[in-house]
Amino acid sequence: MIGLWDTTGNEVVKALAAERRSAGGVASGLALTLVAVVEEKKVREAEAAATIAAAAHPCRLLIVVRSDLDGRSRLDAEIVVGGRLGPAEAVVMRMYGRLALHAESVVMPLLAPDVPVVTWWHQEPPETIANDFLGVVADRRITDSAQATDPVAALRRRAEDYAPGDTDLTWTRITLWRTLVAGAFDTTDEQVVGATIVAPEKDPTAALMKGWLQSRLGIVPKWEFTDRSPRLHSVELQCANGDCVRVTREENTALFSRTGQEDRYMPLPKRPVGDELAEELRRLDADQIYSEALGAMAGVTGLDKKPPMRVHVWKDPALAARANADAGAMAGPGGSAA
Amino acid sequence: MDHVGNPLRTAQDRRLPRIPEPCALVIFGVTGDLSRKKLIPAVYDLANRGLLPPGFVVLGFARRDWGDGDFESLALEAAKKGARTPWREDVWQRLASQFQFVPGSFDDDAAFDHLAATLDDLRERNGIPGNAAFYFSIPPAAFPLVLNQLARTGMADNAKSGGWRRVVVEKPFGNDLQTAIALNQLVDEVFTPQDVYRIDHYLGKETVQNILALRFANSLFEPVWNSKYVDSVQITMAEDVGIGTRAAFYDASGAARDVLQNHLLQLLALVGMEEPTSFDPQEVRAEKLKVLKAISLPKDIAKGSIRGQYLPGWVAGERAVGYLEEKNIPSDSTTETYVAVRLGIQNRRWAEVPFYVRVGKRMPRRVTEIAILFKRAPHLPFDPADVEMLGHNQLVIRVQPDEGVVLKFGSKVPGTTMEVRDIAMDFQYGEAFTESSPEAYERLVLDVLVGDRTLFPDAAEVEQSWRVIDPLEAAWADTKPEPYRAGEWGPRASDEMLAREGRSWRRA
Repeated sequence: MIGLWDTTGNEVVKALAAERRSAGGVASGLALTLVAVVEEKKVREAEAAATIAAAAHPCRLLIVVRSDLDGRSRLDAEIVVGGRLGPAEAVVMRMYGRLALHAESVVMPLLAPDVPVVTWWHQEPPETIANDFLGVVADRRITDSAQATDPVAALRRRAEDYAPGDTDLTWTRITLWRTLVAGAFDTTDEQVVGATIVAPEKDPTAALMKGWLQSRLGIVPKWEFTDRSPRLHSVELQCANGDCVRVTREENTALFSRTGQEDRYMPLPKRPVGDELAEELRRLDADQIYSEALGAMAGVTGLDKKPPMRVHVWKDPALAARANADAGAMAGPGGSAA
Repeated sequence: MDHVGNPLRTAQDRRLPRIPEPCALVIFGVTGDLSRKKLIPAVYDLANRGLLPPGFVVLGFARRDWGDGDFESLALEAAKKGARTPWREDVWQRLASQFQFVPGSFDDDAAFDHLAATLDDLRERNGIPGNAAFYFSIPPAAFPLVLNQLARTGMADNAKSGGWRRVVVEKPFGNDLQTAIALNQLVDEVFTPQDVYRIDHYLGKETVQNILALRFANSLFEPVWNSKYVDSVQITMAEDVGIGTRAAFYDASGAARDVLQNHLLQLLALVGMEEPTSFDPQEVRAEKLKVLKAISLPKDIAKGSIRGQYLPGWVAGERAVGYLEEKNIPSDSTTETYVAVRLGIQNRRWAEVPFYVRVGKRMPRRVTEIAILFKRAPHLPFDPADVEMLGHNQLVIRVQPDEGVVLKFGSKVPGTTMEVRDIAMDFQYGEAFTESSPEAYERLVLDVLVGDRTLFPDAAEVEQSWRVIDPLEAAWADTKPEPYRAGEWGPRASDEMLAREGRSWRRA
């Protein structure tokens, strides 16, 4: 491990090359570069998740922490090859001041040559991905709307801001649910005429579940709000012949009930973020089913027709802050931007 | 059963895993070694990964006088010991409630009637519409008995059961061509041929499947994958262990019947086959069969093949006894624990390219690999002294352990002189599996339940493989294997066999 304080992008590139040389044959087959955009208090969490994901997908991991935008521009970096971050070669970068707005200038030379780039925001998702160059440069972008204050609104925002190659971890979280629900219709040709989802009002996974059922089945599922469960509680599908299939979460299992059959239990564990991330990294192409579900959920059409490449749109938070300050009567604490 | 289509599934939704229809898995010989070490852990791992359907039942059939409770504790112990995925008590509790034990011997009509009744019962109680897979984890000698029972009770009949009925058989698929044909006929008669799944667990391994991806998804390798560029191919399967507790079986069969006939010939077929029209099971099997049919044996089998038997020695820092001193092995046994044979493939692609295949027990280390050795460059514009250390370019597919691909080629040694030497470019798959890879079984059990036959050799392949082995065995009759010290790479004669043709074994 090498730690560099108050350093430059070039020094980081050199240090990574030196670390790779001395570590020998580690991580010789890189499948991708994973850029994790994280806030300081979640760095450990992101590292743990990336370590799990890297075990399945050998990658170069670049963790970018941006903080203290008003301070002096400074870069600290830590380079780990085949150490505590598992088989990945990792660079953890902390950027302060104006440099944080130009994180790509440090990140670009560190991207592994000619392999896909995946950017993952382990924090509140950006309002507009095009404003973050780290999202523009990526082939795949992974957000987590559950980390926003209003997750369902954040998910709607993802639909408006969508480009093929975007996914949200709230979608990954319902893969097991979708597997159970889809499995129920492998052996029957019954037509589904209605659906009911029971979940808290703020649950983004329920919103996507609703969107998915709507886009696949052409029905409008009902969403019953509940306070009993903190997450998606149950999904019920009504068939044309009156039969009913229901999947209900009970701790780490799902109760699977179907008219005329005994109830049975299926595993429905809560997976660690690392497993979810690994699932995302398995496919690096656009997820059309997600875009359809997301579109149906937000009432936006033609999502997969949108151009997959974004164009970077410069947005200076300092200017925005200043504009706000000018608009208000009191001067804000910021404004010391270089 | 084919359905109009599940609106919730599309080919684009690749997150949703393949999940079998509600079905029962009937294991004959459920208390045996294979079942405890591989099958039950594989079923647990599948359950844990959420890959089993809501209606799923395991029926264990064995000769002991046990209740469901005793069986459950045996299964618990087996699953806990062999599981690859983390242990989750709630998953096990659910699964255990779906385990049932049916006691009885194979000649007990009542027991099979009971089994048939139990299967019918599942239709009502568990919503399983007649689907069942019968796993034969029993000695081949018991096959006819069990098959006749299944035929008698109509359990093997797709139409009668209203669902699918499949049968899974493990190697050995007979011990020569005749017995294999007899066995195949028997199985095919009771079940329909396409419902017979023959397990060669090597084909369940990720790296073995990757041979097809490496060859047919890339444009880099296929152009040189022929006799114009390839000098020879070496396929090695070395084990550091001895025969363990399989004395009776092993002494009666030997290395060639035990692994050459199945695992190694399958590897050879995958390396040598032409591109299949599609990855449809039918097409892949057709291409493999063509290669197996084109295999030629050495003209003089005595010269082109070597049998060996291990003597006492040291392996990995431990003293190892010789084969003849192993428990339950007759002291005058002439069974081989090592085979090396020079095979050829008679077609335009491979004419004149020798395929050296070797298998052995008590080798220095455990390794299975396929090495493609390329011809030397037709002209080397270097001083002979500079390229002294330059060998054949090699592409090595490591099947286990450390599965991956190595490319070996010449490169200039840094310095003022033009010295060229071999270097290796090494690609490793991230994951690790072990010899007793439960993952292979996990994959294969799931394939059986889903009904995907791609990774299972069919009767024709098995029979064709015996056509390769039988003449070898005939020529070896009444000969004695060459001795080699445990912990060596086989008998010296094997090195000499390659040396006669100006080649040498790659140190695997």
